[in-house]
Amino acid sequence: MVNVTKGVLVECDPAMKQFLLHLDEKNALGRKFVIQDLDDTHLFISSDIIEILQTRIDDLMDKLSFPLAEK
Amino acid sequence: MEELRNSSLLVIILDTNPIWWGQNITETGSSVCLSQCLNSLMVFANSHLMLSHYNKLAVIAAHTNKSCFLYPLPKPPTAGNTTTVNDNDTTEGGEENAVKIPQMGENDGKYELFTEFNENLKTEIKDLILNDRLVGELYSDSLVAGAMSMAMQLDIHRIEKEAPIGENVSSRILVIKGSEDNAAQYMNFMNAVFTAQKQNTVIDACILDNDSGLLQQACDITGGMYLKIPQISGLLQYLLWVFLPDPIMRPKLTLPPKVQVDYRAACFCHRNLIDVGYVCSVCLSIFCAFNPICSTCQTTFKFMGPPKILKKKSKKSAG
Amino acid sequence: MAAAFTPRKLDCKDLHSYLKTLPSPVLDRLYNHPATCLAVFRELPDLGRQYVMRTLFVEQPVSQAVIGQWVNNKFINDHRYACKALTELRVWYEQPIPGGQPGWVLNQTFRNNTRVALLGGGKPWIGGRSTTVDKYAKDILFLDKYAQERWECVLHFMVGSSEGIEGVSRDIIEVLNNSGLMRVDATDPNPTITPAGFQFLLMDTASQVWYFMLQYLETVEHRGMDLVECLSFLFQLSFSTLGQDYTTDGMSESQLKFLQHLREFGLVYQRKRKSQRYYPTCLAINLASGLSNVSTGQEKTGFIIVETNYRVYAYTDSPLKIALLAIFCDMLYRFPTMVVCNLSRTSVREALIRGITAEQILNFLRSHAHPKMLADTPVLPPTITDQVRLWELERDRLKFNDGVLYSQFNSQADYELLSDYAKDLGVLVWENATKRVMVVTKSGHDDVKKFWKRQKNS
Repeated sequence: MVNVTKGVLVECDPAMKQFLLHLDEKNALGRKFVIQDLDDTHLFISSDIIEILQTRIDDLMDKLSFPLAEK
Repeated sequence: MEELRNSSLLVIILDTNPIWWGQNITETGSSVCLSQCLNSLMVFANSHLMLSHYNKLAVIAAHTNKSCFLYPLPKPPTAGNTTTVNDNDTTEGGEENAVKIPQMGENDGKYELFTEFNENLKTEIKDLILNDRLVGELYSDSLVAGAMSMAMQLDIHRIEKEAPIGENVSSRILVIKGSEDNAAQYMNFMNAVFTAQKQNTVIDACILDNDSGLLQQACDITGGMYLKIPQISGLLQYLLWVFLPDPIMRPKLTLPPKVQVDYRAACFCHRNLIDVGYVCSVCLSIFCAFNPICSTCQTTFKFMGPPKILKKKSKKSAG
Repeated sequence: MAAAFTPRKLDCKDLHSYLKTLPSPVLDRLYNHPATCLAVFRELPDLGRQYVMRTLFVEQPVSQAVIGQWVNNKFINDHRYACKALTELRVWYEQPIPGGQPGWVLNQTFRNNTRVALLGGGKPWIGGRSTTVDKYAKDILFLDKYAQERWECVLHFMVGSSEGIEGVSRDIIEVLNNSGLMRVDATDPNPTITPAGFQFLLMDTASQVWYFMLQYLETVEHRGMDLVECLSFLFQLSFSTLGQDYTTDGMSESQLKFLQHLREFGLVYQRKRKSQRYYPTCLAINLASGLSNVSTGQEKTGFIIVETNYRVYAYTDSPLKIALLAIFCDMLYRFPTMVVCNLSRTSVREALIRGITAEQILNFLRSHAHPKMLADTPVLPPTITDQVRLWELERDRLKFNDGVLYSQFNSQADYELLSDYAKDLGVLVWENATKRVMVVTKSGHDDVKKFWKRQKNS
């Protein structure tokens, strides 16, 4: 017996993975999307979330970044 | 990241000693004369310039009583003076290095830069030889040391300092020499060699006739190639094979092995090459005979005589 | 999927890779001109150049074993690389030596014309130096200024500034459009710049000219001109002397036409269209030197100062340079002779989204750095270089791979069977034996599924 799931393999650094897991947990993208947590640097997520993820991730990263230059 | 540009400066020192070149033809019956050697040299120099856009070149003549730049010129070339040296070499057409060099303005497909360089070189050599007869006394050796100092000055002060940022100039000096060494030049010569070593300038030597102990040392110290060529008629091929690759390339190629170097020094008093001699403990000058006052640094050598054994003995007995 | 977010990297071929794309008869014809041979010779790897010089006067094939021995064994890879380059460019080809062993022999056309370049004794180059004195003789300063102005016209046109637009001809616009540096929108009659165009702008002048000429050469045949004639003329130009005038005598129809185009691009100066003489400018001459590696360079003095607080000061009044800076900086203040701007995450990211790389930005800042900055090592403050690179890395912290997850295997044997099969096919992207989980690529899924079904049935 084998379970087969289609989706997208995400490769990233551990910090980014935690960030994704956090998004998943808080339903920040509207729903759950992580199918399986594979290891420190790999996640398996559903493929239909990619588009939303890519558009939102920049905004989310913006919120996290600190403006460096003084105006 | 951007790559470092490597440009290579080649300074060729050509021995133009009239006595040696004259003897070479009359005594050994060799068919190779100065103009043929020049032709080979020009093709070699062109090849060096052809290797890379950034390669630079200088040619210095080491004459019997002076050294002078043949290229690049310190002064602008005399206009209109474009007649060529009487080419008596082009008659032997069978040889590859006997190639007719065109006159300035004659466009025969050669790269302009090369034409210009070759023309300048020929004009200068001709000037050098024609003005030569004014001098009364002729010596059988050439001022190689002086020419080397000129080369050092050129490559250190002009080329390396003027090189744009990011350009890496590696310079070397190639001495093409036929005449004999002169021990009188020993000190100047060695000074030039050690300067070269300090400046990472490689000295190569292409010897046409007599082995040169001084140049062997120079090449050994600076990590250059020393080659006494067995056949002068094949000069061009030797130059292209052995001396065209720059020092950066050389480790990659199989080149002739290093020669055994004659490391004898010349004494400062009579300029003789000696195996064993006296060395001044202060300035390290070398002498073939003992002298109580160093002629270089004026140090007086005081001799205490042999240790006084008797006194020691008496001390011992006293204690 | 991720590719949609990274516009194609501008691929600036060097001469070697360009020539490789040409069919061999074209190459053979190209070698009929000494200038081409010179240019190709200089493009060869170091060892290759030595090989050519060593065999230049050897008329017969040389055994491959012998040539192999010329090189120190430690550098055998360099040797192979050099041999490959020589073969690819048809500089030499294989021919057995007497006795049947494989040997190499120099391409006869190449050999002859290299010798002509080196020794003379051939046909004069097309055109050649003018024999008469030009009463409107131009000096090098003038030519440099002229070339710079012409080229900046093209760049101005690309950034859409109003200056010097009238100097841009239809041919230039055509090349820009064809090369994908600019694009014509249905709504706007004027072409607009593409991401590739932005990358183009940040390259140094020599690479820009070379890239532009490559694109132009691709359109040459459509214009009814002969590629070989144009190329050899271009190479000849790059080996001419700056400040020297040349005559148009003996040039063919298509070369004359080509000359007119070069005049438009600023590669040559011609006083009047019908004038019998022309001056090559530094743009044309630098072609030969800037061919292979993108060299920083002939920009005379830099004008940019970058401070560790991400402030950028540019001492310039050229709208082009300001427009270039504005690609990746936030403009703050503008004074008559200088502008002040900020490198910020947003501004750099905008540039990155357009396909400009961090390296291109840094290279631009470095190559235009003010002499005061050049005195320091490194030229740019490390905080800035690191941060710009980090901003670039930040954009691809996530790597997406379409795939299919296999999990909940019943036995270790089943798992191993399937993972080994996937590994053999080369479709396995990730696996964990202890958890019995594996991911295969989407394309490999069908095969693995079929295999699994066969196994189950048997």
